[in-house]
Amino acid sequence: MSPARPELHHEPPYLDVQSPVHVRVPGFALRIRVPGRKLQRTLAVAVLVLGLGITASSAAGLISGRPGRPAVYAAPEVAPAPHGRWAAAPSEETVAVQRVPPPVFLTIPAIGVRTRLIRLGLTASGALQAPRTTSVAGWYSGSPRPGAIGSAVIGGHVDSYVGPGVFFRLRLLHRGDRIFIRQGNGRLAVFWVSSVHRYLKSRFPTSAVYGPVPTPQLRLITCGGTFDPARGSYLSNVIVYATLIS
Amino acid sequence: MTHRARACLMRQISWTGRLLAACALALGALGALATAAPAASAAATASTSGWLRLANLSPGAPTFDIYLYAVGSTDARLVLRGISYGMVSGYQVIPAGSYTVATRMAGQPASSAPALSSTVAVSAGHAYTMASTGPSSDPRLELLSDQLTTPKGRAVVRIIQASLHESQVTVTASGHVLARDLAFGSATTYATVPPGHWNVRAAGRTMSATARDAWTAGTSYTLVVLDGAGHLELECLTDGSGSKAMPGGGAEMGFGGTALRPGPSSLRWLAGMTGGALIAACGGLWLRRTRAAA
Repeated sequence: MSPARPELHHEPPYLDVQSPVHVRVPGFALRIRVPGRKLQRTLAVAVLVLGLGITASSAAGLISGRPGRPAVYAAPEVAPAPHGRWAAAPSEETVAVQRVPPPVFLTIPAIGVRTRLIRLGLTASGALQAPRTTSVAGWYSGSPRPGAIGSAVIGGHVDSYVGPGVFFRLRLLHRGDRIFIRQGNGRLAVFWVSSVHRYLKSRFPTSAVYGPVPTPQLRLITCGGTFDPARGSYLSNVIVYATLIS
Repeated sequence: MTHRARACLMRQISWTGRLLAACALALGALGALATAAPAASAAATASTSGWLRLANLSPGAPTFDIYLYAVGSTDARLVLRGISYGMVSGYQVIPAGSYTVATRMAGQPASSAPALSSTVAVSAGHAYTMASTGPSSDPRLELLSDQLTTPKGRAVVRIIQASLHESQVTVTASGHVLARDLAFGSATTYATVPPGHWNVRAAGRTMSATARDAWTAGTSYTLVVLDGAGHLELECLTDGSGSKAMPGGGAEMGFGGTALRPGPSSLRWLAGMTGGALIAACGGLWLRRTRAAA
């Protein structure tokens, strides 16, 4: 091994670039053609532009891929307020003893909700059962009937795996919005939204939602806040508090 | 290695190092942003209101109007008109505080002197019944504190004796004594009862009244014994009602189809940005080198 040979080996061919030249790779029966300077420059510019392009498009993707809000869905059709036989304003002493039938249909014109009401119970672990489909809401049959004294509880999904559920827009309700519940006998109970709150599930206000009250009230429950994909669960609940007005 | 080659390599290393450092910094910042997602919480608004209902439980008393004033105010906050014997209003929501309740004969002007008046201190989240009791010759306003909560899976019931036909009544529910020889104008405390249908009977020496009541778990009731026309009457009022069984914790009402999905997509874009920057840097270096060689 002569000392001159490694020197030749380590000399990268591009260091002695002249116009089109063939470099002999020692030890291989190969000749690599090094392109001309002009072509090299063009290629370098191409690589630079390509890299910048990828960076820019990725940055754009990063910005648009982290939306501040979920995709926008069709605006709710403005559902007309239900009409028909309205519950006569109950005289004060009959409120207490009146037998109120179970609820069958829920209408919230402000957010385009129109759904029949199924019945919900408790899960094996003692939590509130969710409706089996995301397109209907359910009345917790362990709670007072809507329109009777006490806090009636109605739950519905905010979304399914692919899109909005029946209570997708629940959090958009405001104080003063009306909620209509048709009872089994065809009468209509009208509720007035008093407040809308969001709570972490770990700090769920059980007594405020399910606890006793001396007037006819309503609680609507759905999910909200941050979604935890690992647990497949939202971290918060959105709760609408409403009181009977007629 | 020639001097030029070494310089080029060093330049390349320092460029790459700088680039990598910048990328790491950007990644770190984005990671911090992602983990510092806003903690969704809305403090439970502490209720600042209580409930008050008003009743006329004085047998033979005339129909009257009931006025409610905040203490120190002469503007009535609430007026219930035409309250006759046996009538109990629904609960009125009022801010916690002290109030004056005054009764006037039905139709009397609000400026006239009240027939009866009393004060009540309303605590947030509590319910009260202000009732005129006693015979019509000696009526008085009496405040009862109402119980809304019940033991788990049980109902609670109390009795108000507002009958003069029988000065003492005994009230039973399907044979179980709820109140024995309860005197006119008095009320029991709440008794815990199993939920279900009950045959309620109120009996004095000669008169009696019966009713069949369904009592639900999680609900509190007040039974009022009243004078009817030549007989007794039983009225069952619902004081408060909650769920029979309290569900534990929050409700699972969503599958995440409309939720924000941070994480994987951001990382992909960040990887794209880093890769793109590296490619651009390589291109830039190459360009520099070809220029330098020129």
